Amino acid sequence: MSEPILKIRNVESFYGPIMAIRGVSLDVHQGRIVSILGANGAGKTTLMKTVSGVMDPEKGKVIFEGREIQGQEPHKIVHDGVVHVPEGREVFPLLTVDENLSLGAYTRNDKAGIEEDREMVFSYFPILKERRKQEAGTLSGGQQQMLAIGRGLMGRPKVMLLDEPSLGLSPLLVQEIFAILKRLNEEQNMTMMLVEQNASAALNLAHDGYVMEVGRIVMDGTAEELLKSEDIQNFYLGVQEEGPREQRRWKRRKTWR
Amino acid sequence: MLDTSTNLEQTVINGVRFNAEAGQRPVHVDGCITVPALFRERCKTLGPRTVHREKDLGIWKSYSWDDYWNHAKWIGMALRKLGLKRGEAVSILSEDRREWAYFDMGIQAVGGIASGIYTTDSAKQLSYLVNNSDSRFLIVEDEEQLDKYLQVEDELPGLLNVIILEDEGLHELEHHRCMMISDLYEIGKQADAEEPGAFEAEIEKAKPEDTAILVYTSGTTGMPKGAMISNENIMAAIEAGARRLQCLETDNQLCFLPLCHILERDVSIYFPLAGKSVVNFAESPETVFNNLQEVSPNTFTAVPRVWEKIYSQVLILAQEATPLGRWAYHRAIKAGMARAAYMVENKPVPAMVELRFKLWDRLALRNLRRMLGLDKMRRGGTGAAPISPELLKWFWAIGVPLVEGYGMTETAGLATINTRGDNRIGTIGTPIPGYEVRIAEDGEIQTKGLNNFQGYWRNNEKTAETYTDDGWLRTGDVGRIDDDGYVTITGRLKDIIITAGGKNITPAEIESRLKFSHYISDAVIIGDRRKFLTALIMIDQENVEKYAQDQKVPFSNFASLCAAKEVKDLIKGEVEAVNKEFARVEQIKDFRLIDVLLTAEDEELTATMKLKRSYVEKAHAHLIEEMY
Repeated sequence: MSEPILKIRNVESFYGPIMAIRGVSLDVHQGRIVSILGANGAGKTTLMKTVSGVMDPEKGKVIFEGREIQGQEPHKIVHDGVVHVPEGREVFPLLTVDENLSLGAYTRNDKAGIEEDREMVFSYFPILKERRKQEAGTLSGGQQQMLAIGRGLMGRPKVMLLDEPSLGLSPLLVQEIFAILKRLNEEQNMTMMLVEQNASAALNLAHDGYVMEVGRIVMDGTAEELLKSEDIQNFYLGVQEEGPREQRRWKRRKTWR
Repeated sequence: MLDTSTNLEQTVINGVRFNAEAGQRPVHVDGCITVPALFRERCKTLGPRTVHREKDLGIWKSYSWDDYWNHAKWIGMALRKLGLKRGEAVSILSEDRREWAYFDMGIQAVGGIASGIYTTDSAKQLSYLVNNSDSRFLIVEDEEQLDKYLQVEDELPGLLNVIILEDEGLHELEHHRCMMISDLYEIGKQADAEEPGAFEAEIEKAKPEDTAILVYTSGTTGMPKGAMISNENIMAAIEAGARRLQCLETDNQLCFLPLCHILERDVSIYFPLAGKSVVNFAESPETVFNNLQEVSPNTFTAVPRVWEKIYSQVLILAQEATPLGRWAYHRAIKAGMARAAYMVENKPVPAMVELRFKLWDRLALRNLRRMLGLDKMRRGGTGAAPISPELLKWFWAIGVPLVEGYGMTETAGLATINTRGDNRIGTIGTPIPGYEVRIAEDGEIQTKGLNNFQGYWRNNEKTAETYTDDGWLRTGDVGRIDDDGYVTITGRLKDIIITAGGKNITPAEIESRLKFSHYISDAVIIGDRRKFLTALIMIDQENVEKYAQDQKVPFSNFASLCAAKEVKDLIKGEVEAVNKEFARVEQIKDFRLIDVLLTAEDEELTATMKLKRSYVEKAHAHLIEEMY
């Protein structure tokens, strides 16, 4: 495979004295969707924030298109082409859909391009077009998530960081949003790094996957490989192991092999 | 059985009466000559005093000798009622907890034989161990362990009942053989009411020569064998322990190694019967370091891995400290090392050296010890695997006297030991009192004394192989004794490698040198009937990960860590350093890293996390072939 568009090398990030990620290295290749799985507190969001510049790593490198970007201001990183769609669909509630989208293009000044992209966003999320004059705070949860993704697209990113796009959405909406993400990847050749708790949806969408536990990567591989792993099936996909009794509560220890 | 007719002269050690001369029959501990008798005597006199402490929902709770007595009595009476006969075995499949001790004593008191099974054993191994020991009852800790039994229940026709300690998730369980511990206690209470005094009468029946427990040896080759340890063996171990490992009534200790293992069994169940100390049960093997801080024990016995972990923790803390902190740490260690150099040679410490240590102790070391939970520690013990002399010195330097001992299941856990005042680092110490050690012609360490076991359960052939014609126990270890009586182990007799060139090599010596590296957790030397030596190496995950991060070596998971060139170079450096200490034929020409993170469940590891040569050679044959 060619040189990865985004490389993370030995990154360590702290919240005060607490080490949230302890030496993480991973690769994101052009045109691929990379999914990061892990339980609460594994450090997934911290990793995203470190890449997008919201947090500065104590150690390590984030290399985007061959240049080190760790520790840079977030807006510079957006300008370079890495966009972060934060967890919990943080749209600007008092601004309209249109204004939200315009803010997504804040770092750009090619007017024609911006309008082109706005139409592109509306083509993927037609509902946003219908509600374009409505305040974002009055949208439903799913629509807000769509707006957050659309706002991210307005930065014309080369890599999108998506933090839990399925959070708090109905299964039907999750399906819908993931289908759109898949189309974006296929039609726009959009590279994505996706953090998810919904492991089954994420692994079905992604090409590659990494599993994080307490700040470290414990397993990596293609999505197919991960889907086959017994540990993933047991701990992330809810497959019950065969046992002699029906109501088994204990789980075997993870080995990550 | 109380033996009052003795005319053996008695002596008092830390408030407990023993035979004045060690190694005499019958072994007396406060007038008792069997384990159940000593148990009864202690419960009777100590009653409401605390014997066990255990965490319940995050809070330490105390349990008395009365609790110990009552629960053991109910267990013993219930098992007897349900059909346990004297001389029959009961298997215990549980992590360490106070019920483990209750069962051990309850079973022994009614003449049963307690046999421990590791919780990491598979269902298949469980089936073998229950059948091999002809166990009549099986104690399982929880639903996870119960499921192992349910998988193989058809293979275990000899079992009468299975007793479950934790009912979580099992409220709806209905099984004709299974019962909860609370039901067992009820049966026991009833049986005791029907036959008052019967439990005491059973205790009276115990004789020193009765088999008390079965301890299955990990068996790096073939199936595990059940070592029969008699009452006398345990009493002899208690006697030796009391003479060499000071135990006070006021002591707190921490129990975390598996109680199936003879070392923890001695230290946490049998020695406290004599010493009256309080045993704190760690919540789980993973929380040992936290529990250590909470309990801050007076004595602590662990395996080298645990001591290494403590050392690594401090090293990492020191590296990440402020420059001032780092400077203070190094000065303090220097002062401590200077003092330790005298202490480990059993020489008096010069006043200036002592003074400098006192100063640094005040400034730094005392805090360090408090942080680690070692501040009250009078003595640390290490055994079950070789430990690096440098590591031992480091612990002496920070003010923790750490002594190494040696023993095996077949010697009831103890054979030789160093003590605080009589210590030679790098050796395994001198033989315990009343015990003899000799070196046979082929270099094998052989021993004789009352703590040598009775033989393997229903395996006379192996028993005969273990004893020489003149009654000495063949330990299987090769070593030497110096002029002052200190014993040094150099290897395992069976593991001796004969290279294609016809040279005899003891791999254990090279392996232990490799293990002394902080980056290597274990190693297996290969080379039997081959042209040269090679090694399979298991890296120390934590320390190597730390190294990789500091050196900015990218890695994702364990396999990619092992594959990193820098890591291979690091280990290569360690191997080369070791090579320098050995002769030409003993050089390690090549090595491979085991890139799978092994856990205690894997067959390649023993319960104390040592690599098993035969399994490792089989499982990683492809790596070995690569090197030749």
